[in-house]
Amino acid sequence: MKLPRLWRPSLAWRLVLLAACWSVFVLAVSGVVQTALFHQASVMRFDDDLREDAESLFAGSSVDDQGRVAAPPLTDPAATRAYSGTYWEIAEPNGAGIRWMQRSRSLWDSELAPPPDGLNSLRAKPGTPVFYNSIGPAHEPLRVAAMLTHLPGRATPVIFMTAEDLTPVETSAHRFAIETIIGLVVLGAGLILLVFIQVRVGLGPLFALEREVADVRTGRADRVAGDYPSELEPLAAELNALVAHDQEVVERQRTHVGNLAHALKTPLSVMLTESERHPGPLADIVAVQADAMKGHVDHHLRRARAAARSQSPRERTAVAPVLDELAHALERIFRDEQVTIDWRCPDGLYFQGERQDLLEMVGNVLENACKYGGRRVRAQARATLGQRLSLTVEDDGPGLPDDQLAEVLKRGERLDESAPGAGLGLSIVDELTSAYGGTVALGASTLGGLKVTLDLPAAEA
Amino acid sequence: MRILLAEDDPDLSRQLKQALGDADYAVDHAADGEEAHFLGDTEPYDAVILDLGLPKIDGVSVLERWRRDGKQIPVLILTARGAWSEKVAGFDAGADDYLTKPFHTEELLARLRALLRRSAGHAAATLSCGGLRLDPRAARASVNGEPLRLTSLEYRLLHYLMMHQGRVISRTELVEHLYDQDFDRDSNTIEVFVGRVRKKIGADRIETVRGLGYRLIPLEGETESA
Repeated sequence: MKLPRLWRPSLAWRLVLLAACWSVFVLAVSGVVQTALFHQASVMRFDDDLREDAESLFAGSSVDDQGRVAAPPLTDPAATRAYSGTYWEIAEPNGAGIRWMQRSRSLWDSELAPPPDGLNSLRAKPGTPVFYNSIGPAHEPLRVAAMLTHLPGRATPVIFMTAEDLTPVETSAHRFAIETIIGLVVLGAGLILLVFIQVRVGLGPLFALEREVADVRTGRADRVAGDYPSELEPLAAELNALVAHDQEVVERQRTHVGNLAHALKTPLSVMLTESERHPGPLADIVAVQADAMKGHVDHHLRRARAAARSQSPRERTAVAPVLDELAHALERIFRDEQVTIDWRCPDGLYFQGERQDLLEMVGNVLENACKYGGRRVRAQARATLGQRLSLTVEDDGPGLPDDQLAEVLKRGERLDESAPGAGLGLSIVDELTSAYGGTVALGASTLGGLKVTLDLPAAEA
Repeated sequence: MRILLAEDDPDLSRQLKQALGDADYAVDHAADGEEAHFLGDTEPYDAVILDLGLPKIDGVSVLERWRRDGKQIPVLILTARGAWSEKVAGFDAGADDYLTKPFHTEELLARLRALLRRSAGHAAATLSCGGLRLDPRAARASVNGEPLRLTSLEYRLLHYLMMHQGRVISRTELVEHLYDQDFDRDSNTIEVFVGRVRKKIGADRIETVRGLGYRLIPLEGETESA
């Protein structure tokens, strides 16, 4: 089952998110536990002090002969100040409640509250302090220790109670909690940042592979060459195998077509020559048919090459050397006509495609210019916007009227029957350029003749 | 006129030998690259018709060897492969003309006549300048025996510089000799061509004399016999 593709997080996001969830959970739990433990420990220390106070209150008390309890002489000056937060009280059970007998001066005229469950817990453990929370006379939170015990010389039990303001404990616990939260948030952010870095570094080879594959596609590299970790090594090897297979298929196809076409050409030459040597009606038919066959072979050979190539425009070709070689070759071919080819091309200009194809396109256009033009051919290549290149070939021949310009590109159309050539030149140029996603435009040149402009994909230098 | 025909197809060879013989040429035939190279190396032919798809050594290699050895025989290449990449390779190797199979015999004969007429033309002396050689008859140049690939504008530039080696030549003078009258003369384009020729013959061979022009530098202690 496929999930709806509303949100597809990247690998990096998945890893970071997972790590973040876990970190946040662990940090939150540890924060809660730490705060609770701190609070518990503080209260325990507080309770120990209260117990000590209660026990010394008990130890210092005495009973007079009338059974009245006398409190010990005071040691803690805080207990004498009204509402100071430090209190004690000596009481006796009175029904379900208690009645005070002696109390610290700090209590003024209020009393300490009995434990929330009355006297049950006190009676259950006589001689042991019971701790509970209460509200003090100044509405402060109080921690109370109450101990029910018997004093010698007195029949009814006596309750010794000591109390202390809990506010300092609460405050420090609060502060501890805030500090803990801040610490944990910083730690959490640090952890997530670390995970993020780890993921970027860890997935680095994947990004490198992506760049290399892009290089192979755009023709800047012919295979994936990087050194990859063991998980990616098989993928890189498979990619290389795929590229090699692709190239091999294209190459094989081209070779087959080429072999067939070229194998036919020498027999065709023999037939042509033989027919010329024995003139007659049969020879005429042979000559005409052999010429037609030659045209078909040439045409389909070029078409097959154009089709085989357009699928793998991985290579890139420097434009200037191609123009140089073609100018050199064509000036020799048209030496008797004394054609001069003046070509201009910036050094760093690259065609996104194969050298053979660029030679074929530009070669045919230049050849046409030499053939139909006068003595002067101008070729100009330049980079244009959006990774394209524009190649203009102009001649100083008679040029073409507008209605014939469109006709030129038609297959096999020969405009000037007096000039030698198969007439397939520009149609193969058209096929090749469209195979590369380019265009051929015809126009009039300022030199007086035809202007052919090829628009082709350029490659990064 | 003595012609070397290097072609491996027996039928085509027989036909061509006959046609060339009918046109009053003396024809030697070589059926493979080794034989063709040997014959071309030892016999004084006026022209060679060279098939590129020869057994043993291919035609382009045979041609390259001749050119490397300084042989300037006019060569007409014959091939079934008509793609521009192959034509360019042929001219790069030093071919003078190119004919794609299948062809008409008259066309072959016409091309051959043109080739012979050109090579028989005005016999100008070979120019040399410290490792640089320029043969105006074949319109070829080489540097230290390595054939140079020059387009006609580059060739004209080098030719003019070599005719006036050691002298400073102004841009205007170069433009005038490079271009025909009807060409637009832009002295900046000279820099383009000087740059290209420098790339091909070595940057230090053409010196820029500030404000004056260019000078071809003859290397010292080197004398070349034409």
